[in-house]
Amino acid sequence: MTAKGWIGGVRLVFLAIWSVVVLVPLWMLLSIAFKTPSEFLENPFGLPASIRLDNFVSSWTQASLGLALGNSLLVTAISLAALVLFGSAAAYALARGSSRIHRALYAYFLLGLMVPFQIAMIPLYKVFRTFELINKIPGGALAYVAVTIPFVVFLFFEFVRALPADLEEAASIDGCGRVRAFALIVFPLLKPVTATVVITNCISIWNDFMVPLLFLQKSSVRTIPIAIYSFTGEYNNQWPLIFAGVVISSLPMVIAFLLLQKQFIKGMVSGAVKG
Amino acid sequence: MASRKRTGKLAFKASDLLFLLPGLLVYTIFLSYPALSSFYYSMTDWNGLSPELSFIGLDNFRRLWADDAFWRTLRNTLAFALGLVVFLNLIAFLAALALDGNGRIRKTLRVLFLIPTLLSGLSIGYMWSYMYSPIFGVINSALDAVGLGALKQDWLGDPKLALPSVIFAHMWQWTGFHMIIFLGALQSVSKELLEAAEIDGAGPWKRLLNVTVPQVRPAFTVSVILATIGGLKVFDTIMIMTQGGPGGATDSLSTLLYRMAFNFNDMGYASAIGLVMLAFIMLISYAQLRVLRAGGE
Repeated sequence: MTAKGWIGGVRLVFLAIWSVVVLVPLWMLLSIAFKTPSEFLENPFGLPASIRLDNFVSSWTQASLGLALGNSLLVTAISLAALVLFGSAAAYALARGSSRIHRALYAYFLLGLMVPFQIAMIPLYKVFRTFELINKIPGGALAYVAVTIPFVVFLFFEFVRALPADLEEAASIDGCGRVRAFALIVFPLLKPVTATVVITNCISIWNDFMVPLLFLQKSSVRTIPIAIYSFTGEYNNQWPLIFAGVVISSLPMVIAFLLLQKQFIKGMVSGAVKG
Repeated sequence: MASRKRTGKLAFKASDLLFLLPGLLVYTIFLSYPALSSFYYSMTDWNGLSPELSFIGLDNFRRLWADDAFWRTLRNTLAFALGLVVFLNLIAFLAALALDGNGRIRKTLRVLFLIPTLLSGLSIGYMWSYMYSPIFGVINSALDAVGLGALKQDWLGDPKLALPSVIFAHMWQWTGFHMIIFLGALQSVSKELLEAAEIDGAGPWKRLLNVTVPQVRPAFTVSVILATIGGLKVFDTIMIMTQGGPGGATDSLSTLLYRMAFNFNDMGYASAIGLVMLAFIMLISYAQLRVLRAGGE
């Protein structure tokens, strides 16, 4: 066999095996979510006998997933808005100056890249109690903003550096204030980084388990992961019910990804490579 | 404009403060202050509830040193990170090589391989708890079905198998993400160099090792560091799948820290564990950067 043929064969075998490894659990998740308990026991592998939504309805109502979905949406939206706004503004000010203070403050932000949340979380618990932020949606959002802002400032900083300052300078000569110049001229130019920031953090905040486990435990402020977690505690090993909840919780991200594949992939790549 | 190039110092203006303040405040109050104060808490016996605490110096660290559970979680965590780094990068790089280029099937598979990354660690935890389950689980049923029933295992219940099983589930989640890091890098590999090497008579294996790999080295740096840090911090997957069991076989620094802090109200001790974690994360990422950079540029 030629070298090319041999390599092509190995490639095919590898892709086939890994596709099975990726697909089987996803298939089990989806198909079992539609099965009745007895159907699940008799026939775990095959297609569900009929498309029944019973499991989805029960897990939706019993885990109050509507409420949790709203909370997840709120936490994610507030965090992303604050991250983009605070992060781009801070990076802009830091990138446009070159005094010692600018450099020191940028270094101070970068230090945060190394801090794992686990290190901050115990004292943060005390800070949250002082400010009465426990079991409040904005509290959860503040935790995400604080942990993520070093990376966001870093991403925006690099990008602003590459932008020529001429446009804002011209605007300021024409009497446009700095805040206005930033909002009207610079911020729109930052769109590609903004997209990266939104996409990468949207996935991680939506899926995060630790922050809500610590700070959003009360049922009225529960996000999706905690709703599923508390719910499964009561329904041990009722896989069809558990999987229905898991499917519901994953759907928004998967749909968004399938609709915006290109942007998602680009955002994830630039987010990772620059990190 | 040339006269105003970046040679001169652009001074700090009052309006800079306006731009910086919101970000700085949130970052300082909710991350850097807490992170710094954990150094202090690690030297106290704070229980997280009472306003009173006393300074006990390095007692928590002495306790760590003598604590078998701590050493076990440290070993597990390092094994987790190492296993993840090796297998995650290997499979993700192979997948990227196999899916580099155009074509419908490749594009579809790329999308498919990325889907696990979009699910939460919690979802992955439940999926794989089921896959591994000794009674209903698909892995054992499949082994039975193909006549390999003798290979059936209690994947998460056997102390020897539990850690590799959890590592595999975590790897399953993140392979797609690391694959696209590599795919991004592969796209920038110079086609001319590859062709030149082919004309010079270099076989595919040689071209891979001598042309492709050196050029995607920065992606390896990123991917290895992300995998290591992810491994050192692992929490969700373990909490859902094994809660650290059986008999501590899958307990990680994060789960031990969480248990100490929020189940046993031993915040001082938990802070000390957190500092060990920080030290490892900094040390290992620094070492990796040095090693991987030294070999490259």
